[in-house]
Amino acid sequence: MYRGREGQWAYFLHRITGVALVLYLLLHVFDISLVMYGPDGPFNAFLMFYHQWPFRIGLVMVIAAVVYHALNGLRIILLDFTTWGIRYQRVMWYTVLGVTTVIGVPVLVKILPEIFGGA
Amino acid sequence: MQISMKVRRYDPEKDARPHWQEFNLDVAPTERVLDVLNQIKWELDGSLTFRRSCAHGICGSDAMMINGMNRLACKILVKDLGDKITVEPLRGLPVLKDLIVDMEPFFDSYRAILPYFINDDPPPPRERLQSVEDRARFDDTTKCILCAACTTSCPVFWTNGRYIGPAAIVNAHRFIFDSRDEGSAARLRVLNDANGLWRCRTAYNCTEACPRGIPITKVIEETKRELIWQRM
Repeated sequence: MYRGREGQWAYFLHRITGVALVLYLLLHVFDISLVMYGPDGPFNAFLMFYHQWPFRIGLVMVIAAVVYHALNGLRIILLDFTTWGIRYQRVMWYTVLGVTTVIGVPVLVKILPEIFGGA
Repeated sequence: MQISMKVRRYDPEKDARPHWQEFNLDVAPTERVLDVLNQIKWELDGSLTFRRSCAHGICGSDAMMINGMNRLACKILVKDLGDKITVEPLRGLPVLKDLIVDMEPFFDSYRAILPYFINDDPPPPRERLQSVEDRARFDDTTKCILCAACTTSCPVFWTNGRYIGPAAIVNAHRFIFDSRDEGSAARLRVLNDANGLWRCRTAYNCTEACPRGIPITKVIEETKRELIWQRM
């Protein structure tokens, strides 16, 4: 593994979350589209299937990926369009990680009981 | 000081694939990696192959991946690396033998951006004058030694060898921001390509790797903005 610093990991994580979100979005649109077969169709069955706890963990990761990708996207815009962005790129990346974590706390408060409670 | 140096070896006439070879040596902490490689070649294994020329950080011949980062072997001291050192050829360029890579794809990109002064006006009797401020505008990018440490540290270049790479952009910047030069439009045309300037994803490995301290990512972003403003 090349021993790059913050910028390299920011880029890798941005790419990984980006690809993961595209795959998630395809699945998501497919699932939602099943609603056109009505209440007795496959929609509700899929929904119940996704209520199992492994998919709840997946949900936490999807939310983390969305938040990270969005915030790091703002960081990249600042790098591209300001003259000072480059100077603060490391600080901005740690801020992105920090804010992603802070936003993750209420998400965990909501979803953790659903994972362990088997709701 | 006892050190062990692991070198990634490859001999196209004997080896199907590269392999690691370990050398144990006694060296002074103030010796450079290039000195250690020389000691191996001169005293232990004459078949070890690597490029070096000036040995003082100017010719750019001995860029290689040392302990996972691209550096010049002649500029990094053993004491700054510890007693376990790994040396590999640069990534993203075809390995010809041991630590020697084929630099031609790298120089093709360099030649593509017209890395020479362009101005068809007849030269004035003495010289083309330039203000101190105008000269300072591109001072950073005059320092490139074409060692390829930046381009081969770029994750985008590893997976897409057609990306023009940071070194070519740095050398384009050298002339694009020179007030005396008139070839900017032609250079920006070359850079305005899917595998040109826009392929940069700001991973900063180039900036970290540059042995000349050129703020490469900053330079690339300046060139991106210049291209945007010119096209608007």
